[in-house]
Amino acid sequence: METLLFVLFGGTAAVGALAVVLSQNVVRMAFYLVISLGSTAGLFFMLGADFVGATQLLIYVGGTVVLLIFGVMLTASGPFITIKTAPSQVIIASVVGLAFFGVLFLTVLQVDWNANSARLESEYSASSLERIGYNEANVGNTARSLGAAFLGARFDEDLGRDRKELSSGYLLPFEIISVHLLVVLVGAAYLARAKRRVTRIEEE
Amino acid sequence: MNEIALEGYLGIGALLFVCGVLCMATKRNGIGVLMGVELVLNGANVNFVAFSKFGTLGLDGQIASMFVIVLAAAEAAVALAIALNFYNNHLTIDVDRANELKG
Amino acid sequence: MAETDRPTTNQFMSVEQYLETAESLKWLLTVAWLLPLLGFAVEIFGGYWGDRHNKVASYLAVGCIGTGFVCSLIALFTWGGATHWGHPEEAVAAAEHDHAHDEGHAHDDAHAHNDGHEHDEEHAHAEEHGPEHDDEHAHHVNDPYSAAFSGSYYMLGQFGDLTVSLDYYIDGLTIVMFCMVTLIATCIHVFAIGYMSDELTDDYEDHFVHLPGGKHFHRPGRFYRFFAYLSLFSFSMLGLVIAGNIFMVFVFWELVGVCSYLLIGFYVERKSASTAANKAFIMNRVGDFGFLIGLMILFTSFGTFRFANPHPTERAVEPGLFQMLRGEHGDLHIHGEGREAEVFLTTATGDHDKSIPYWLLVTAGLGIFAGCIGKSAQFPLQTWLPDAMEGPTPVSALVHSATMVAAGVYLAGRFYPMFTPEVLLVIAYVGCITLFIGATIAIVATDIKRVLAYSTISQLGYMMLALGVGGWVAGLFHLITHAFFKSLMFLCSGSVIHGCHHEQEMTRMGGLRKKMPITAYTMLVGVIAISGLAIPYLTFPFIGNIAFSGFYSKDEIVATALTHMSLNPVHFLLFLVPLVTAGITAFYMFRLWFMTFAGEPKDEHVYDHAHESPWVMTAPLLVLSFFAITVTWGMQIDEEGHLKPGYLVNALLTAEPAHVGEGLTEAGILGLSLPGHHAVHEYHATAGTAALIAAFAGLLISYLIYVNRAIDPAGIARQLSGTYNFLVEKWQFDNLYDAMFVRPVHIVARWPQAFDRNYLDGFLHALCRCAVWVSKWDRAFDERVVDRLVNLVGDVTFAVGRSLTVIQTGRLRQYVMFIAVGVVALFALMFVFMPTL
Repeated sequence: METLLFVLFGGTAAVGALAVVLSQNVVRMAFYLVISLGSTAGLFFMLGADFVGATQLLIYVGGTVVLLIFGVMLTASGPFITIKTAPSQVIIASVVGLAFFGVLFLTVLQVDWNANSARLESEYSASSLERIGYNEANVGNTARSLGAAFLGARFDEDLGRDRKELSSGYLLPFEIISVHLLVVLVGAAYLARAKRRVTRIEEE
Repeated sequence: MNEIALEGYLGIGALLFVCGVLCMATKRNGIGVLMGVELVLNGANVNFVAFSKFGTLGLDGQIASMFVIVLAAAEAAVALAIALNFYNNHLTIDVDRANELKG
Repeated sequence: MAETDRPTTNQFMSVEQYLETAESLKWLLTVAWLLPLLGFAVEIFGGYWGDRHNKVASYLAVGCIGTGFVCSLIALFTWGGATHWGHPEEAVAAAEHDHAHDEGHAHDDAHAHNDGHEHDEEHAHAEEHGPEHDDEHAHHVNDPYSAAFSGSYYMLGQFGDLTVSLDYYIDGLTIVMFCMVTLIATCIHVFAIGYMSDELTDDYEDHFVHLPGGKHFHRPGRFYRFFAYLSLFSFSMLGLVIAGNIFMVFVFWELVGVCSYLLIGFYVERKSASTAANKAFIMNRVGDFGFLIGLMILFTSFGTFRFANPHPTERAVEPGLFQMLRGEHGDLHIHGEGREAEVFLTTATGDHDKSIPYWLLVTAGLGIFAGCIGKSAQFPLQTWLPDAMEGPTPVSALVHSATMVAAGVYLAGRFYPMFTPEVLLVIAYVGCITLFIGATIAIVATDIKRVLAYSTISQLGYMMLALGVGGWVAGLFHLITHAFFKSLMFLCSGSVIHGCHHEQEMTRMGGLRKKMPITAYTMLVGVIAISGLAIPYLTFPFIGNIAFSGFYSKDEIVATALTHMSLNPVHFLLFLVPLVTAGITAFYMFRLWFMTFAGEPKDEHVYDHAHESPWVMTAPLLVLSFFAITVTWGMQIDEEGHLKPGYLVNALLTAEPAHVGEGLTEAGILGLSLPGHHAVHEYHATAGTAALIAAFAGLLISYLIYVNRAIDPAGIARQLSGTYNFLVEKWQFDNLYDAMFVRPVHIVARWPQAFDRNYLDGFLHALCRCAVWVSKWDRAFDERVVDRLVNLVGDVTFAVGRSLTVIQTGRLRQYVMFIAVGVVALFALMFVFMPTL
């Protein structure tokens, strides 16, 4: 079942991504992107990251892609729906892309991930076997832990442990991100605002 | 299930990443370039979450991916605004026309 | 009262009264002293930034010095009230009156002074005591410290045993000098407002500076600067007078020198003026060298610079120079004979634990006197004074009467206790030579200011002579009276020069009496005063004798000299020369007056353009002529030829050193006798008559030559051409000094010059050439190696950058491709070259 799901979601995501690359039509690209991103969300669910998956669906599929589609709608007037790429470029790009993918895939396959993680655990955490806060029993229930981590409390790390000092949370990055978002909002609004003079000139 | 190991997810992530890079490299449409960026970010995200499950990253991986998603959204908003601006100024969306930075 | 223990009470007043008087005198005189400094500071800066057309600077200067005069006057009356004008007997009487009934005091005192009858009585009283004067003197040894107020303003620093401080020493002489200096300076300041008024311009044309091309030199007016210098000059002189230690005297001494330098060289663009200023300054340095030596000797032997104990009401805590050297009665404690002779000093403990060799004391005295020679233009350093006429006339008046030259005589008087009889003899002979030289040159001088300058030299010689022959009071008395009539005459000459448009040659004047009557008759007053003319033996009830101030002072000097001759017949010249010179003085002064004001105009052009000066210049003349007549108010000579001292002399008498009044007998190594007061009294009538006869003779000759024309002066000059030229050439002094000092110095200087030229210069040139050569190499290295290297680096960077622009296409997609290729290449490299884990 799990293999089936992985093949389904993973395959969809991979095919969607390839389709985005290969498609020349912007509108179709957006559609394939939605498919790819949605499948990735499925992968997240499979990995037990339910909140991240939900966020992926909400923000990416629901927000960002809609934004992109708005962009397409605003800019893609007639001739710009499809802008052909030169074949030579496509060839070069595919060669480089294949090489890139080769490098990455080779790395993925060559590294002994289990030994690596065991080594990391032995280096950074004495009790490597005891993993409280994130284990099979809690799979699919990460929302509360994530929220607490954003507010600076690490239940997953600190609960049930006899430690003097607490692990660090993400309150400060969270705040920075929020401010960042605000700035982005303002900046985007400023950049995208309608320039009256230009429009007037166009009208005339 | 053991047969779906880390490598599978990492492979998907790598594929997404390379697709994103290719997208950025080949699309002349500005929006397409943005889509490539999204793909790249997503590939990275897959890696984060996969490591959070199979590696020692734990919840930190998911938090990183959260940040990536949020930043991606912000980036998309700003980039789109830039693209719109560019379109307003050049009346095209072809990024090859944006070569003012040529030395 | 006079017999009581001196330091706690004195013959004049109680301790409380003394302290009170000291405090008020100190502040009054300090204000009078420092005001001109304030004026100077304001004038020199304010004037610099201010308008060159306004006279504010002059008003400020006059205000400062005038206020100083008022302060000095108040101080004089304060002092007079406290010391009863130097009559201790009256003080005793007044004190007794005080005890009886207080209210009668003031009346009594005033009565005693103003009523002629009382005076007569008192005089008779003194006469009664005359014969048994020895007893009298035993009881009434003049104690100068009882009426002197000394103290310290501020300790500047202490270097081991050396204490440098600002002290004051105030006695009758100080106060009289203050009044004299401030009064004369005020008059001169006022006069200068008129005299210097042509400086009130932005473009002053100096007619005495000829530029190439026949033009005159133009410069901005320096009105404010003149008054600033005048203020500084007054300040320096007052500081010199009030100074309480010899170090401070030296400081202000040099300040006076600097001011005179600035003022003599006021027209600095004129070559003659700047040369004269240099000459005055350098000649003074010669004397100051001696002064410094004396200063060092005194400090080494005495360990202090102070004149007197700064705490006079207590038992000598730190005795000053005079108290250390002179005992209670002003005697020197000499022990030993010949070269081993030593003078023991009274120190704080009262023991004779310090001593100074006698010859060293003589050397110190001579050294200090050397300073006085320089400042007071005595032989052999007298030649700077006539040249100092290059300054504006008010400056000449100030230099010649109240400040510069007076400083020397003042110091000699102030330092009198330190002078041994040998030094006094030197002083007397120097004065004697000087007065004769000055007077003889004045006979032939034709420049109106130069006549006055030589007359000043001559009169200063008189003062020095008087001091030298033991007439302390006579010398300083003449200093005061001379200051008045000499400043008067200088201002008159200034008025003449101003009125005649800077014509100074008397040969071109004449008959100016009608054109400028005020100047002429005030000048006449001065001339009569300096000649010492009088109608003696004619006494009016209130006015006294018909005599001007100069008569009395010159009389005193000649009388003292005569007494001195009677005691020391070897030194007969010390009487004969001044007597003859008294006649010469009358001759050349009346010659000046006759040539200038009487007779027929010799130069129509000058005469036609002459005019009387404005009131701002004539008013000081009137004031000064008044004082030239009356400054000796109260002095009288009665039918028997006895002199009754006036207020001025009494005031000076209080400051007279203790040992002078009695005289000395067979003192010092030379066995010199100095006349005491009483001895002088006995010769007064004789000397006065002789001097008067000489003066009238001079007047008569002058009249015959220049008015009556019974004798032709040119004929005399032709007959005695050798002497005449000798005198015109100022006794060849300038030529002598030129031959003695200037030319040898030039010759000696030529050697170093040659050495400089040939060797030092050559060496330096070689060094320079080396330096240039090295620099040339350095430059070549710089240009060919360093510069090229730097350029190479720059060129390479530029070329690389230029070539790299090819890659910078500005295409976004290409950049992404570069990144991807880069990553792949990097990984490929890693796989190839990195060892596997």
